[in-house]
Amino acid sequence: MNTVNSTPAPVPAGEGKVVPSPPSPPSETSRPVPAPRLRRLGRVLTIIPALVPTAFLVAIVLALFALSGFAVNISWSPFQVGVRWPENFGWGFFGSDWDPLAAPPGQPHWGVMVFIVGSFLTAVPALFLSMAIGLGLAIASTTYLPRSVTRWLDSFVDLLAGIPSVVYGIWAFVLIAPIFGGTLNPWLADHVGFIPGFGPPPGLAGGTGLPVTIFVLTLMSLPITTLLIRDSLRAIPTDLWESGLALGATRWEAVRRISLRHGSRGIVSAAFLGFGRAFGETVAVAMVLGVNAAYPINFYSSTGTIAATIFGLLDSAYGNSHFLAALSEMAIVLLAISLVVNLVGRRFISSIIAYEVPGI
Amino acid sequence: MADLTMSDSSSATEDSLFDRSFRTRWRVGFDRVVGWLLPLLFLVAILPILDLVGYISYRALPTLSFQVLTSTSLTRTDTLGVPILSTAEIMAFSTVLAVAFGLLGGVATAEFLSERAAGWVRMSANLLVGLPSVTLGYFGYFTFVLYFGWGLSFVAAVFTLAFFMTPYIFRTADLAFTSVPRHIREAAVGSGAAPHQYILRVATPIAFPQVLNGIFLAMAIGIGETAPIVLTTTLSTTLPSTLYSPVSFLTALIWENYAQSTATPAGRALVDLAFQAAFLLIVVVIALNVVVRVISHRFEKRLEGLYQ
Repeated sequence: MNTVNSTPAPVPAGEGKVVPSPPSPPSETSRPVPAPRLRRLGRVLTIIPALVPTAFLVAIVLALFALSGFAVNISWSPFQVGVRWPENFGWGFFGSDWDPLAAPPGQPHWGVMVFIVGSFLTAVPALFLSMAIGLGLAIASTTYLPRSVTRWLDSFVDLLAGIPSVVYGIWAFVLIAPIFGGTLNPWLADHVGFIPGFGPPPGLAGGTGLPVTIFVLTLMSLPITTLLIRDSLRAIPTDLWESGLALGATRWEAVRRISLRHGSRGIVSAAFLGFGRAFGETVAVAMVLGVNAAYPINFYSSTGTIAATIFGLLDSAYGNSHFLAALSEMAIVLLAISLVVNLVGRRFISSIIAYEVPGI
Repeated sequence: MADLTMSDSSSATEDSLFDRSFRTRWRVGFDRVVGWLLPLLFLVAILPILDLVGYISYRALPTLSFQVLTSTSLTRTDTLGVPILSTAEIMAFSTVLAVAFGLLGGVATAEFLSERAAGWVRMSANLLVGLPSVTLGYFGYFTFVLYFGWGLSFVAAVFTLAFFMTPYIFRTADLAFTSVPRHIREAAVGSGAAPHQYILRVATPIAFPQVLNGIFLAMAIGIGETAPIVLTTTLSTTLPSTLYSPVSFLTALIWENYAQSTATPAGRALVDLAFQAAFLLIVVVIALNVVVRVISHRFEKRLEGLYQ
């Protein structure tokens, strides 16, 4: 606690005496009390630690740029040697030709479109599923179940957010993926194979591939979407709710026409933040999807996502500045997308919502 | 809902006080069915978590023994003593760092920044929380491993994890100090408290549970992180002897061992080890989460008490 004391706050005039305060205005406004007045040095010294999060964010962005091919002639970048944008990389970076370790006569290629597509292919279906389930859970918990029951059920859902992703990964890899590979995928390929993209081959026998990844990502983003939707449905004014019921609406009609409309902003933000979680998930995806630089041939095949690829290939990139530059450009793409998603998602919710749940 | 009036002639008879039209019965019935079906969705969330906890306990508990947890023998690879101690060591160092950064930042933001500036800082903390962990791991790899030249080492892992945990501690500290009731602050300032006196003697006792909460939460999140650790250090079978030696970590251990072939006894032992580590992680994380919930509940009660 003594760390707080590092700010040598000058004592304001009148210290030690009881200063008669001016009569406070009669109306209690919601404005916060103004910050204590400090002299200039004190103010500067206290503002510096407050910039910690902003400084971290800037540092992360700078580091990723410094390692990438964008960093043309930046003297402090350790990897400026030979890596240039766009001479070495060019817009082929956004192509789908990925061959980072080509033997000398061939040219290495760094097209990352496969991974961008793979990220969306896993995150978007997971988001739809977790939004659908989350809406149902939130409505059930706010409308249909008594508080004494939901207190327990909700904390189960919130617990899903606390489980480490590597634990999800090992569970899904050892237990869930073989179920998909042995039973579900072949069954689906047999029975719904007439839908384009769902036909055979039914993927690997071990089961790693898109379906199990979508399953895991749904579970991992479920607590976030559920919690945010729940909070936004709870925030509906009692007047509105009760007048809806008094007019003769059933609970379902009141939810559909009042709660969902009133909480629509919260629901939108839940979708964005849940997508951010599913899009950036790394370790669990690397375990159940793998790092496979090919477009999926059907629903059951494997591919790669941006996050899992950075994670899985950093070892082989060691000492290869071009490879490192390609990976950090992928990291920049990932960073940009998740920053945008988070910025948009947080516009609609109070910034201090639900701090007890990880990842929000 | 306008057609709730008695449009149906049959419902206007004497014996029925209520609207018995088909439409009304359908609406009420639909509501009732939804009320039964939607709670069933909780199974979708609860069954997987029960399955996960149950299966990992089932795989871990038969081979878990006191000896596995405590042996730090250098020759055996099937014990968890070294990873547990290394994890504790990394967590201790990075928690201290993250508390130093996050607490100072949170207090300064809550107490001294203008609303506008505080909004920016809070937004960047929220964005940091939303960043994928692999981005942070990559940042740590670039900054600490390559640029500072620390190599894949203990100290690089500690700093990366501290960076990861800081925004969580920052946010809760900020929230805790912001939510000290206004009249208490006015009373303190009005009776002549200097800023540091107000913070240390008035606000800290009130905010302390919530700050503690943030620290526990950050630890629960940090101990489950894999990417920042795997990218900044390499797995070691011994405790780190210097700041720059490689170090083990429970999540990294799972990542290294989960896909070993179970055909050989050695591979099977490694997979068992991964499951034991996963079991330990689950126990620690759930315990920390419960503590966080209890403290947070108490804190709310306490704040309510202050307003009476």
